[in-house]
Amino acid sequence: MITKDRMRADIAKILHMDAGDVQDDDNLPDLGLDSLRLMKLVLGWEEAGLKADFGLFAEHGTLGEWWQAIEAQQAG
Amino acid sequence: MGGRGGAALTEAQEGLWYFQALDPANPILNTGQYLDLRGPVDDAALREAVARTVAESEALRLRFRPVAGGAVQVPGDAPELAWADLSGFPDPRAEAVRRMAEDSARPLDLSAEPAAAFALYRLGPDRHLLYERIHHLAIDGYGMVLVTNRIAEHYSALVNGTVAPAPFPPLSRADEADAAYRHSPRRAEDAAWWRAAMQGMPEATGPAPGRAVSGATFLREDRWLPGDLLGALADWSDTHRLNWTDVLTALTGAYLSRWTGGEVVAGLPFMARMGRPIARIPCMAMNVLPQRIRPDEDAALADWITPLATEMREARKHGLYRSEQLRRDLGLIGVARRLHGPLINVQPFDRPPGFAGLEVGLHILGAGAVDDLTLTFRGDPASGMLFEVDANPALYSPEDVAGHAARLPVFLAAALAEGRLAPVPTATPDEIAATEALTAAAVHPVPDTTLTALIEAQMQATPGAPALVFGDATLSYADLDRRSAALAGRLAELGAGPETIVAVALDRSLELSFALVAILRAGAAYLPLDPDHPPERLARILDRAAPVVLLTSPDLAGRFPDPGQSDDAPRRLLTTDWPQEGRAPDTPPQPGNMAYVIYTSGSTGEPKGVVIEHRAIVNRLLWMRDHYGFTPQDRILQKTPATFDVSVWEFFLPYIAGATLVMAPPGAHRDPTALAGEIRRHAITTAHFVPSMLSAFLAAPASQGIRMARVFCSGEELTAELRDRFHARVTAGLHNLYGPTEAAVDVSYWAAAPGDSSNPLPIGWPVWNTRLAVLDDRRRPVPPGLPGNLYLGGVQLARGYLGRDDLTAERFIIGPDGQRLYATGDLARLRHDGAVVYLGRSDHQVKIRGLRIELGEIEAAIMGCGLAREAVVLAREDRGDKRLVAYVVPQDGWSEQAAAAYLAARLPAYMVPQAWVTLDALPVTPNGKLDRKALPAPRFAQAGRAAETPAETLLARLYAEILALPEPPPAEADFFALGGDSLSAVRLSLRIEEETGRDPGLGAIFEHPVVAALARVIEGGVTTGGLSPLLLLAEGDPTQPPLFLIHPAGGLGWGYRRLALALAPARRVWAIQHPGLDPHHPLPESLSALAADYARRIAELVPEGPVHLAGWSVGGVIAQEMAAALSDMGREVGMVAALDSYPADVWRAEPDPDPVSALRALLAIAGHDPEAHADLDTREKVVGFLKAGDTALGALPERVLDGVVRVVTDTSGLVRRHHHRPHPGTLTHVRAGLGHGDRHLTAQLWRPYGEVDALEVPFLHPQMISPEAVVLIAPMLRAAMDRAQHRASPRSAAAE
Repeated sequence: MITKDRMRADIAKILHMDAGDVQDDDNLPDLGLDSLRLMKLVLGWEEAGLKADFGLFAEHGTLGEWWQAIEAQQAG
Repeated sequence: MGGRGGAALTEAQEGLWYFQALDPANPILNTGQYLDLRGPVDDAALREAVARTVAESEALRLRFRPVAGGAVQVPGDAPELAWADLSGFPDPRAEAVRRMAEDSARPLDLSAEPAAAFALYRLGPDRHLLYERIHHLAIDGYGMVLVTNRIAEHYSALVNGTVAPAPFPPLSRADEADAAYRHSPRRAEDAAWWRAAMQGMPEATGPAPGRAVSGATFLREDRWLPGDLLGALADWSDTHRLNWTDVLTALTGAYLSRWTGGEVVAGLPFMARMGRPIARIPCMAMNVLPQRIRPDEDAALADWITPLATEMREARKHGLYRSEQLRRDLGLIGVARRLHGPLINVQPFDRPPGFAGLEVGLHILGAGAVDDLTLTFRGDPASGMLFEVDANPALYSPEDVAGHAARLPVFLAAALAEGRLAPVPTATPDEIAATEALTAAAVHPVPDTTLTALIEAQMQATPGAPALVFGDATLSYADLDRRSAALAGRLAELGAGPETIVAVALDRSLELSFALVAILRAGAAYLPLDPDHPPERLARILDRAAPVVLLTSPDLAGRFPDPGQSDDAPRRLLTTDWPQEGRAPDTPPQPGNMAYVIYTSGSTGEPKGVVIEHRAIVNRLLWMRDHYGFTPQDRILQKTPATFDVSVWEFFLPYIAGATLVMAPPGAHRDPTALAGEIRRHAITTAHFVPSMLSAFLAAPASQGIRMARVFCSGEELTAELRDRFHARVTAGLHNLYGPTEAAVDVSYWAAAPGDSSNPLPIGWPVWNTRLAVLDDRRRPVPPGLPGNLYLGGVQLARGYLGRDDLTAERFIIGPDGQRLYATGDLARLRHDGAVVYLGRSDHQVKIRGLRIELGEIEAAIMGCGLAREAVVLAREDRGDKRLVAYVVPQDGWSEQAAAAYLAARLPAYMVPQAWVTLDALPVTPNGKLDRKALPAPRFAQAGRAAETPAETLLARLYAEILALPEPPPAEADFFALGGDSLSAVRLSLRIEEETGRDPGLGAIFEHPVVAALARVIEGGVTTGGLSPLLLLAEGDPTQPPLFLIHPAGGLGWGYRRLALALAPARRVWAIQHPGLDPHHPLPESLSALAADYARRIAELVPEGPVHLAGWSVGGVIAQEMAAALSDMGREVGMVAALDSYPADVWRAEPDPDPVSALRALLAIAGHDPEAHADLDTREKVVGFLKAGDTALGALPERVLDGVVRVVTDTSGLVRRHHHRPHPGTLTHVRAGLGHGDRHLTAQLWRPYGEVDALEVPFLHPQMISPEAVVLIAPMLRAAMDRAQHRASPRSAAAE
């Protein structure tokens, strides 16, 4: 099951950062998350069972927004 | 969609709009691609898939309408899928590709047709091509991916019966995102960040110098990258925890930096979508981020790529800031000042989409403008990567493009394998092998002998043949044998023998030749000395070289140290003491002994003695004898001073070929007329010229019609211009030789035959047993096209510098492969065929304000204007500021303005010299080479008061910016006199609008080109927009009769600017323009009425005294009538000149022009040949064409253009109805000598109306007021005006 903290940890890892340094409202592209890395992350999360559209991740820039959108999708 | 009527462009679109608006006929922004669909296509599903995609992609339906200050985008009808069955064509795929190319090459009418088009071509039952073409204003590369994938998704959903994908978000989001960024504080922060990041940026260039502006097409070479390279890239990137995209960008940048001097400013396309609400909208969002890449060649790759990756990540954070804006922020205005060089475009997502049941290939046809070079990588290491090189054909040849496409993958693989850049040559192993093959081909067996042995053998073989001619004396080989043997015997007695030196200081004479042969026969090496050199220098050389004997003549002896007074001075043997009889000693030299020592000037000022051995010079002489087929019938002119090593073959080649050596009288080598006389008198077959001397020789009347077998050039760069001039005047083979004294005279050759069109002219191929190596600063081989340092290897290399092992070690090095090489200090590059092109001295590389400049190109241009006999251009640094100075030896008719105007028309403004110095002759060194140090410093005239008011200061700055002036000009400076042309005037008006928010109108610049005057216009003054009937074209002496230039059919006189500048400041020059350009002004009843009106205007402006009239085309017809009208008014008319004008009688039978042919007449007015542009058959096409070119007409406001069309149509009719009457005086008629076809249009047609002076120039009618023609026509008119004034003032005539 994908959790917000799992996502945070994965993002931090791919950016060579500490998980504590990835805040909910940090702009992830500004931290260095580019489309290539994002693609890797999303593929990993899909394999782990997350059902979410790639566009959701591309259109939003922060973990907070991502999680909100995922919750909204799952609720809907 | 309804709410989107007339949305403004986003910032991302504005830059593209500006580009397209400037050049509406350029189709380069049609981005296109096609999918190769293999398998059974479901037609209906595909049609529906496209329709659904178009329905949800608003961008594909956009129209763009121009409005004041830009454009708005409005929704329009959706494009439909076109369908064609091409299976009946012999090659259906080729037909499909042809149709796609045709469509992509079509400029769109963006206001009327959809920005997108789709077509499906059926090639056969199981193969279709789906073509997509979308204008870049509507979409970017990623948007294209979204659209293409969406078509595939819809198709698959339809075929499989699955759920359709969720539609794209609305396009309004893109506007919102754009507005949000425009108004956010982030934009200002980004601006500041970029400014700081680009601080001190180097000149942004690519591998090729030149004007990097995208044309309508590009060259393309593509290939799939090999799997092992992709594997290495992925592995290396993973190992170093880097993105492979960044690594690929970095290494590609490293390759480019090899071409741009160690650092490159690459342009990196940036999606600008990640994390933004526009991420999945088909729209135009991409930006291009400039990225400085300066790799550390010695460091491990990761040591510089890791920080570079961090830098690129930082840059992307600020990547929404538009590069067009950044370029303006940094003041990088004008073609030559760029924000970035080549693009490196890594597109990991560009993969073929999945269509259910089909196999799909993706082919990109075009992705937008190609200013320079675009290196694109599509795909990723796991699924494969297509590498494309797109190149601007104005800068790159197809061979260049193929070279980059083949080379970069090899470079990438080698860099990854080495882990460091330094060991990786830019040239590929294949390219290195090709150069080695050339060296191998030059290997040729040469007997291991000496020059002495070869000469002695010839003397034995043909004792009775003529060997030596000087004045009236002719000596046989037997005579030469006798005299040289006798002297050799005496020299041996005095201690001469192998490995000793005998100095020779003699003027050209029989004795000089005896002496040289005698020294060689004594086994010694000769050391030539120039008696004209300063005694101090001669003494120093004698001291260093320590010759055993000095051979000289009694009258020259006094210039050398006296052995009676100094122990160190060599013993002298004066010509008067030479024996007539005697035997040569039996001390022959060996091939490894020295043959001669020639001193050359060293960069430090201390002369260096170059020691050449027999083996080296034997190779050089036997190569020349065999290669050019010298025979005993040849008569070779000896005219080069013995101190210049060219003389070595002049002296000895005849004696090893059994030919005759003809010595020119002393001093004759500097006198072209004397030389021509010698060549004729002695039936010379072969002579040598330094190019500058050849130029002077060709300019001398005496050289006309000379015939020889061969002329050799060396010592300086032989230009293509000189080659062509040579063959126009002289009948002889022309051969370009190259070589330093350090490599036995010459090491390369090139046949500069009449059919040779090389420009620049190469130094060519290696002579026997010689290697030419072009290596970079780390002594790695360079590929064709990349400038490097020229190194020489092989048998001809000198032993070294006499007594200077230190200097020898500095210049004679051990090359990468262990071979001995000589570093010439010359820059060179290889052509694709392997021929070497000389580029200049490495220590004279010229860069002015960061711009690379080939001075030779400027010199050739000056010579091309026909006003200078000789020309040299230097980049002088006299006041800490480097400027180009031209030194010219003028011809008749020289005018600085005309030359500058000629150059401004051919070269970028920054290559036009800022100062001109005329000299009676160029200073030369004792060897006859140009003495650059003796050229005087110029005086830079910046007369006049400095700009003062804010408007003046602004304009002075803009003039300087646009004309690349070193500093703002004074308030009195004239834009056109400073080198401005109509194109730069267009740029000036755009810049003024940018800076002031007010468009002064192009016409205002033509009307008021002086800073102070234009400033008044900007400050709210009145301008007629350059359309006033009387327009002052050039200021001049008010006391002299002015010249009026009458407009051609179009009514505008702007085109006369060059002609006017060439005829001023001796007088004022005015243009007369048609009052009917103003649509409210009534049109004249007849041509006579029009001419009478002009005559009245002139009489009002100039109340008394004579006036001159001239006109081109219809202007000449009007001028002829005006002359009669002025005469009627009792006014004195000076010159009346018609430039390729013919009487109305000729045109009467022809129909009046329709509006389109009137428009096409505009082409002629703009200097184009309408016949060459038959395709321009609508107003839009004509105007579009003019806008794309560098002509002012294209930039005219619509209203003025209407006026021009009105005037053209009306005036043509008036001419047809006009009946001429006699003109006073003589009509000066200048005929366009080219292009009249079978029409017999000559000056004689004017005979019925008076005296005619018939002149002609070799131009087409439309070119008659072009800068090229002005160079010839201005002197003709000047002379005609002088004659007319002479006639008009009998008093001054009587006084003579």
